[in-house]
Amino acid sequence: MEKKKNNQPAKKSELKKEQTPKKYTNYPSIVDHSSEAQAKWAPWVRQGLWDIKGYRIVKGPAGGGTIDDSKMNLKEFMVIDRSEACLYSHSYGLVSLFFLGLLHGKLKGTKCPKCGTVYCPPRAHCWNPACKVEETKWIDMPLTGIIHTFTVQCLAAAPFEHMLPFSLGWVQVDGADTAICTMLHIPYKDMFIGQKVRMEFKPQKERKGDLMDMYAVAIPGQELPAWAVLQRDKQQLKMLDEATSATSRFIKNRYGLDNSNRGW
Amino acid sequence: MSERRVAVCGGGIFRPDIWRGENAEEGVAIAYRDMLDSMPGFDPFDIDALMMSYFSDHLNQQLCMGWIIQDYLGLHNKPGYRVEAGGSTSLDAIANAYYMIRSGLFDVILVPGWEWMSEVDTATTNMMIASAADTDWDFTVGGYYNAYYASLEVRHMQLYGETCEDLGKIAIKNHNAATHNPYAQWRMEHGKSYITLDDYWKSRLVCWPYRTLNNALISEGAACLLLAAEDRVKRYTDSPMWITGVGLGTDSMRPGDRLADFPFASFRDQAAIYPDFVKRPKTPYPEMANFGSMHVAALRAYAQAGITDPLKEIDIAELFTPYDGVELCFYEDLGFCGRGQGKDVVREGLCEYGGELPVTLSGGLTAQGHPVGATSLYQTIFLYYQLAGKMKKKYGPDALQVKGARKGLLTGHGGTACQGGVIVFERD
Repeated sequence: MEKKKNNQPAKKSELKKEQTPKKYTNYPSIVDHSSEAQAKWAPWVRQGLWDIKGYRIVKGPAGGGTIDDSKMNLKEFMVIDRSEACLYSHSYGLVSLFFLGLLHGKLKGTKCPKCGTVYCPPRAHCWNPACKVEETKWIDMPLTGIIHTFTVQCLAAAPFEHMLPFSLGWVQVDGADTAICTMLHIPYKDMFIGQKVRMEFKPQKERKGDLMDMYAVAIPGQELPAWAVLQRDKQQLKMLDEATSATSRFIKNRYGLDNSNRGW
Repeated sequence: MSERRVAVCGGGIFRPDIWRGENAEEGVAIAYRDMLDSMPGFDPFDIDALMMSYFSDHLNQQLCMGWIIQDYLGLHNKPGYRVEAGGSTSLDAIANAYYMIRSGLFDVILVPGWEWMSEVDTATTNMMIASAADTDWDFTVGGYYNAYYASLEVRHMQLYGETCEDLGKIAIKNHNAATHNPYAQWRMEHGKSYITLDDYWKSRLVCWPYRTLNNALISEGAACLLLAAEDRVKRYTDSPMWITGVGLGTDSMRPGDRLADFPFASFRDQAAIYPDFVKRPKTPYPEMANFGSMHVAALRAYAQAGITDPLKEIDIAELFTPYDGVELCFYEDLGFCGRGQGKDVVREGLCEYGGELPVTLSGGLTAQGHPVGATSLYQTIFLYYQLAGKMKKKYGPDALQVKGARKGLLTGHGGTACQGGVIVFERD
């Protein structure tokens, strides 16, 4: 009877479990939102694996020397399309608590017990050379701060292109000695260095434990100072209006997204 | 330590362009051959080691590209290694070659540099380059380098009052200079006509305040440089360019951390004119306005070269300026003027051709081209022919020659000036 039991085929669920890659097998996994992502991404990674997908023949300037020399020396080149895709499993290290905090709508920082420097973004070890890489302590940060600097983007790297146009900035959270990079959901017409902001979070369901879960909004009722860098030259504001409208049209064409009426 | 001097003996160019049909090893070979043609007394068997300069592996899906280069040139029994430091890669390769020769262990070092950056589309190239920023904290927020540098420039603008027009003037200076450079990518794309402020305002706004004309080009290209010890130099060139000062420096990975930048705390004197309407960070220099790594690198290089007044003593500078606000800030950080006075240098035309200290006459990163591993090599070759007084021989009849130039300055940096260096060159 005992032997027969052993010969029975494994249950379907057990089979599935064995097929998943065995990472971190010696460690307990406390929260796992990863296996699902791994399963979803596996076919994409497979699709994008190193492969020659196609080719074309391109005729162009060749050889050394000056521009004129190479224009006189046209050659045909064979150009291949080669793919490569992968999924990285990356640890947030000793500052993982910060990213866990984002999931719960909390902002965390660290403080050096020796020199008192407050880090947000947090550092697990103080970088003040006098403190000799002292381990820092976790503290709760307030959700308010000021804009240290900013830019208005009309072009972005590939993964962020669909969100254009947007403003990126560095916010010095109240009580912190450093500044954190974040999205500014503030119309650039009202934006200035020193502006008081409040950190807000995406709806809980959309959070990924990523810095993009958080963004800054302006605290209402602040006077726009005349010295603000974007107020000094109204012509620049006009050019920005044109550039951001053109960018919105481009994004609508390419991605079918209307980013022009988000209010920031 | 050995006291013998080290010189740049010459170099070769495979010009940068948005796309080059030849692959990297062929491009380097063409640049190497260009160098050999200019140096009849040189024998490849003289080379003691190679210092290979290239930034990216993932732009071309090739690890250990240096090995391919070394064997393609037939130099594969020599010691050789790769230098990588983001944008600072090519300057660091020159610095390392200098240290090795200066140490007395090597006499002649070849520095090949290259980058092939157009295999993926432009937005992806930007993404891959931006993975040199902190991918947990900075890259992840919508960013790419253009946006980081634009933010730094906005801070500097707010503190010290330069305008977008000042940035435009720098762009015009560098692009118009590049029309005199027959190897410049801008001249290939645009031709030989000058641009004006009107053209600048019409160019596309990328990240305010930067427009396309303010930004480094994406390029493919290669260059080779030959460095040799004093007693070997005569065989290769009659106009050696001596390296008289090399200074390196670093700063924080994330620019946001420079508000509490302890190693720079002693540089507070730089903050004397810090405006009062903006909150002062814990350490006011360089914070997110200036480039501390370049400041300390310059101090170190100047001390070695005995330079006390760079604006007066240096005759020509090739600055590594991927964005034009960086050039303005560098005027301050390199000591051409006080902190906050970069805009005056622009407005007085001190760094234009014919000015007190002409800067980036090659066109630099925004107009000559920026294949990362080759960029500083192109700029060094440009300085070599400037100091030798032989510009027209290499760069043709239109070339801008600074007459009687004796001292040249080169800078390079990577990230948001997370790492950088300054080299002072001198001719006899």
